[in-house]
Amino acid sequence: MAMMPARVKYRKMQRGCRAGDATRCNAVAFGEYGLQALERCWMDTKQIEAARVAIARHMKRRGKMWIRIFPDKSFTKKPLEVRMGTGKGGVESWVAVIKPATILFEVDGIPEALAREAMRLAANKLPIRTRFVSRHHLA
Amino acid sequence: MKVAHVLAVESRSKIGSRYAKRERAAGRLPAVMYGHGQPPSHVTVSAHEAIRYIEGGERVFTVQQKGQKDETVILKDLQFDYLGTNIVHLDLARVSLDEKIESKVPVKLVGESIGLKKAGAILLHPTPLVTLRCTVLALPDHVDVDISQLDVDHAVSAAEIKLPAGVELASDPHDIVAAIQITKEEVATAEATAVDGAPAQPEVITAKKPAEGEAAAGDKKGAAPAKDAKGGGDKKK
Repeated sequence: MAMMPARVKYRKMQRGCRAGDATRCNAVAFGEYGLQALERCWMDTKQIEAARVAIARHMKRRGKMWIRIFPDKSFTKKPLEVRMGTGKGGVESWVAVIKPATILFEVDGIPEALAREAMRLAANKLPIRTRFVSRHHLA
Repeated sequence: MKVAHVLAVESRSKIGSRYAKRERAAGRLPAVMYGHGQPPSHVTVSAHEAIRYIEGGERVFTVQQKGQKDETVILKDLQFDYLGTNIVHLDLARVSLDEKIESKVPVKLVGESIGLKKAGAILLHPTPLVTLRCTVLALPDHVDVDISQLDVDHAVSAAEIKLPAGVELASDPHDIVAAIQITKEEVATAEATAVDGAPAQPEVITAKKPAEGEAAAGDKKGAAPAKDAKGGGDKKK
């Protein structure tokens, strides 16, 4: 099932600003390994779902996975060959605003080599550069 | 824990991000020392040396500064760069050897759990650090938690950790340190829902819903012109 909010106050949103780096959701918090964004983007439901499926299939029902992002922002698009004006276009999809350092996925309960490969496969489904990170136990 | 490692620090007169950046480029790590009623002092330490000690699990240091007497400090906080990779700043709190302090200590899980032998079971380690209250000399490098008797759907809380004498737990005793869960079914349901049909649109809270009376009126209005149109058409014929 595609990820999107169950209830929203308004269907269409303003585009907003996606400058700066992630100041929250920027550390591995639940699992042992994670996939961290190095660039910024709007990541839509299809991309998140494709990455999730890639990880789940590679893990073969071992371990546990966390999706740390949620597409809570709608984005609209006008149909093809339509003149400008006459209002905002229809909702095309739902996206998550990704800033550099955001942790996208986390996994636990699997060996590092397996987690690394699962994250590599997931990263291939995403529109931005990412890197594999593991939780550090410093103060 | 032994107070053995010596950190040579140098005072820095110019503070702020611009000068801190220059210090880092020169292989020094900016730090601040505070506590014990003394004014905070801004210092730098050798980045290579400090990071090596910190990554080795050291928390307590003896600080040597030119023209000043040695002080014992504890690593209170670390700041990382925006990706969370490199250490960019240290917070060092002054301590005396007989005073009780609070510090975070890593938890090490020991033993092979009986629950992990079951299919689909995974070990979760949600709290990798616990806060302990003790004197500097009694502060352990890590605390061991035996999970050999841990079964599926059971957990070890922070209160169950066996601590050495003179060491108290300062973090929430209900924190889950280790747990074993079966995840097989969860993943299966997620896969099943993924195959389902086209997604519905979310419910819009502010969308205007026609009241019953209005809806009925609207129906009549909609119906009336249709009749008129038909009638009109008949008349024209």
